[in-house]
This record gives sequence, structure tokens and C-alpha cells, in this order.
Amino acid sequence: MRYIQRQSTYARSLHWIHTVACLSLYVTGLILFIPSVAAAVGVSTVQGARIIHRVMAAIFIIAPVVSIFIQPKGFVHVLKGWFFKWDDKDKEFMKKFVPYLLLGGKQHMPDQKYMKSGQALADIPVVLLSIAIALTGIVLVWPDFFGGGAFVRWMLFAHDAVMVLLGIMMIAHIYIGAGIFQPYRGSGRIMFGDGKVSEADALYHWGTWAREVLAEGGDNVTTE
Amino acid sequence: MAETAIMYDSSKCTACKGCQVACKQWNQLSSPLTSDEYTYTKSFQAPLDLSPKTWLIINFSEEDKAVGIDWNFMRNSCFHCTEAACEKACPVGAITHAENGAVSINQEKCIGCRYCVASCPFGVPRWDEATNTTFKCWQCQDRTTADRKPACVSTCPTGALQFGDRADMLAAARDRVAELKEAGFTKAEVYGENELGGLHTIVVAQRGLEAHGLIRDPKIGLTDFWQLLKPLGGIAAAGVVGALGFSYFMARDYSRDTMVLDDATGQLVKVTEVKK
Ligand code: SF4
Ligand code: SF4
Repeated sequence: MRYIQRQSTYARSLHWIHTVACLSLYVTGLILFIPSVAAAVGVSTVQGARIIHRVMAAIFIIAPVVSIFIQPKGFVHVLKGWFFKWDDKDKEFMKKFVPYLLLGGKQHMPDQKYMKSGQALADIPVVLLSIAIALTGIVLVWPDFFGGGAFVRWMLFAHDAVMVLLGIMMIAHIYIGAGIFQPYRGSGRIMFGDGKVSEADALYHWGTWAREVLAEGGDNVTTE
Repeated sequence: MAETAIMYDSSKCTACKGCQVACKQWNQLSSPLTSDEYTYTKSFQAPLDLSPKTWLIINFSEEDKAVGIDWNFMRNSCFHCTEAACEKACPVGAITHAENGAVSINQEKCIGCRYCVASCPFGVPRWDEATNTTFKCWQCQDRTTADRKPACVSTCPTGALQFGDRADMLAAARDRVAELKEAGFTKAEVYGENELGGLHTIVVAQRGLEAHGLIRDPKIGLTDFWQLLKPLGGIAAAGVVGALGFSYFMARDYSRDTMVLDDATGQLVKVTEVKK
């Protein structure tokens, strides 16, 4: 069967870094967020968690920012992926997605471009929320610099509220993206493996894109 | 143990700052040794603000009048709120209420996150960079549990500071406000009776709350809402996990034929493999 290279080594490395950073941020953040957990693990663990939280937060912020400079083309490619003109198929996909997800993936879904309409719709808020959690987090690291008081109080609230929203989106992202959801089995290879997707899966998930890439051929299409 | 309170009567305070010094002395809080560490502002107030090593200051709100100045003094320190935002915000339970209502920080537990600093509506707790912990007045619990008054109270030469059962302190404050009103201070008010569930520092504000820089009806709604986020977030996350669990269950027998592209016709053709 033919395989299509969907994600580059660079994109996968960045995704790996962000996966480790995000999961560490959640584990260490929840220790601070849930008082009973903090009480159960003890002061030195909480203090350690706080330090890890900050180190991971720096990685979470720096990795994508640096990548914009190292791989500006990749950044433009991602932006183009998000902001495209929706056609009827994209709208139909979005309409069908919730019943598709909840009722066992039985419906026929329309062909999609490189980025599914639903994927773009989920990614954009995730990026905006990630920027918000980063900015509010920066305020919490240097509260005195930002004047303390009510402003910091709001930032603290916003940081945690965004964390809850992002957490919910993250759970859904892992369920779908890592292929726990049965119709998406095998998707984990795209970001966590060699970045390839089988022709059959590519045609199923991103029909329009897969047809284009298969027609072009070249280095992106290999046979295994 | 009954609830206790400090009562501060601004009308009796001469701003001698004896309480400031006593607090530093009893709690062994050093002062900066160089004059350069103070900023001169023409005010008699010194130091200008609370710090990790200054848990009590007398604020000077000097109001120019046609003749002379109104010295609206105010004791600036922890109010030991019943609804203490600092305690609610602390993620590690380092801030606790004693039985008598005094609120204190356990520096052994404090991780220096400064959530209490951000949450206190009065801006009381102060973070110390050197120890990465936060400090504030603890109402001299080492003294009060040994039947002694807090250091500031015991040193006050004019009787502006008193300490005792909260109910008695409130009654004394009300009486004093009545006297002040009779004497022409019509805006005199008691502060601390109901604010934030009742404070454990009661204030006689001789010229009204605003004149003494007191916050009328302080609110900690955002801190409360923030606390609510914890169960709400848990419920939302559980809801999503439940919905995805349902999705997983519904898709348990999912399978699809493996379809590949016939380059010649552009049609999808089924191959023998069946993806489970
Ligand atoms: S005044 Fe501030 S520091 Fe003191 S108990 Fe109230 S909220 Fe806590
Ligand atoms: S700075 Fe210390 S006392 Fe204040 S909220 Fe954080 S851990 Fe609690």
C-alpha cells in the first residue's frame, strides 16, 4: 500500500516537545489547582511541581515561537491550513461531525482538504487559549511587576478558567488525534511515529488532499 | 475559645507609631538600616507601605483644611476576615483561622505563589523574595494564647488599641461612635462588624470610612467564583469524558473496508484488507 508523508520530522518534534510540556503542565498545575492534592503530596512536592511548571511553561512558550523563526514556511503552511474558504463539503462535515463522533462513526463524511473544517475550528481556539494561558501565566510569575492586586486576581482566575477550557479540548484532541476513537485508529503514527498515513486512511480522512498528493506523487508518496 | 478582636479607635490615635515598633520588636522584624531605603514624600507616614518585615503601619491621610490639617490616621494591617480571601486562595492550606478568628500564614507550608497577595482585598500579605514565602500580621497568637494582648495593643499609650472578646470590642466601638457623633463628628462609623463575614480588627473611623482609606463593603466575589471553578471544571471534564466514553461504546464494533485509489479511473476500490 502507498503511504503519504503528512507531517515533517520538524513538525513531529515540535509536537513531541509540546506534548511533554502540556502533560507536565497539567500534572503540575493540577497539584496547585486542587488543594486536596497539594495537601496529599506535601509541601516539597508542591514546591517541586511549581518549579517544573515554570520550566515546562517556558518550553511551552519558547518552542513554538522559536519554530516560527526557524521554519517560517511551516508557520505560513499552518496558517493557510486554518484560514481557508469553507465550501459545501466543509460545512457538511461540520454539521455531521457531532453525530459522527457520538454515534459510532457510522455516517459517511464528505471529502476534506489538508485541514478538516472541524480541525481548523478546534485548532484556532486552542491556539488563542494557549496564548491566553501563556500571557496570564507570565503575569503570575511576576505579579509585582504587573502591579499586583485586582489585575493579578483576574489573571489568576483567567489562567485557571482557560486551563479548564483547554483541558477539555485536550481530552477531545487526545481521544480523536491519538486514535482512541475507533474510526481514527492509526492516526497516532502521524504525529508520534514517522509522520506517514496510509493511502486508505488519508482517503478516508482527507479525501480531497489525499487525491491531490497521490496525483502529484513524488517523495511524499512511498510504498510499503 | 470566644472570638476575639483588636479594636482601633482612630479618634484616640496620635500616630506615635509605638504599635509599629512593638510589632517589629515582638515579632523580631528587622528594619532597613539606611535612610536611603525610605522615599521622602512630605508625609509623616513611614514606612510608606507594609512589607514582609513590616506587618503594621499607621497610615497618614493628611487632608488640608482651611485651618490646619485633618490627621485621618488608620491602622494598616491584617483585618483577620472571617471570609478570608487569602485563606481561600492559598493552594497549599498554609493560611488558617485560629479558633479566636485570627488568620495566620504558616511559612513552613507557604510555597510563595502569592495567590494570597493577589486575593486579599486590602493588599495585606507581602511576599519575601529572599525566603520565597509570604508574611503578614498573625495577631500575635503566641501572646494571645498565653492570655496576653497582641504586642501593638499592649504598647498603645492612648488606649486607641484594645483587645478582647469581639462582641465587647464591637460594643465599645459602637459606644465610641455615638460619642463622636455627639461631639460633632457626624460621619463617624464602625468598620468590621459585617464586612467579609465580620472582621477581627474593628475600627472606629472618626471621619467616615473613606476619609480613613477603608473600603466600603469589600468584595471577594472573584476569589469565590475562582474557587467555584474547581468543582465546575471537574464536572465539565467528567462530562466530556462521559460523552467520549459513550462515543467509544457506540463505535465498539466499528470497522471499514480498506479503500484505495485507482489512479486510472480516479475511483476508490476495495482491497482485501479490512480495517478493524
Ligand atoms: S485582611 Fe487580607 S490577609 Fe488579612 S485575613 Fe483578610 S484577606 Fe487575609
Ligand atoms: S504565597 Fe504562601 S501563603 Fe500565600 S497563597 Fe501562596 S502558598 Fe499560600
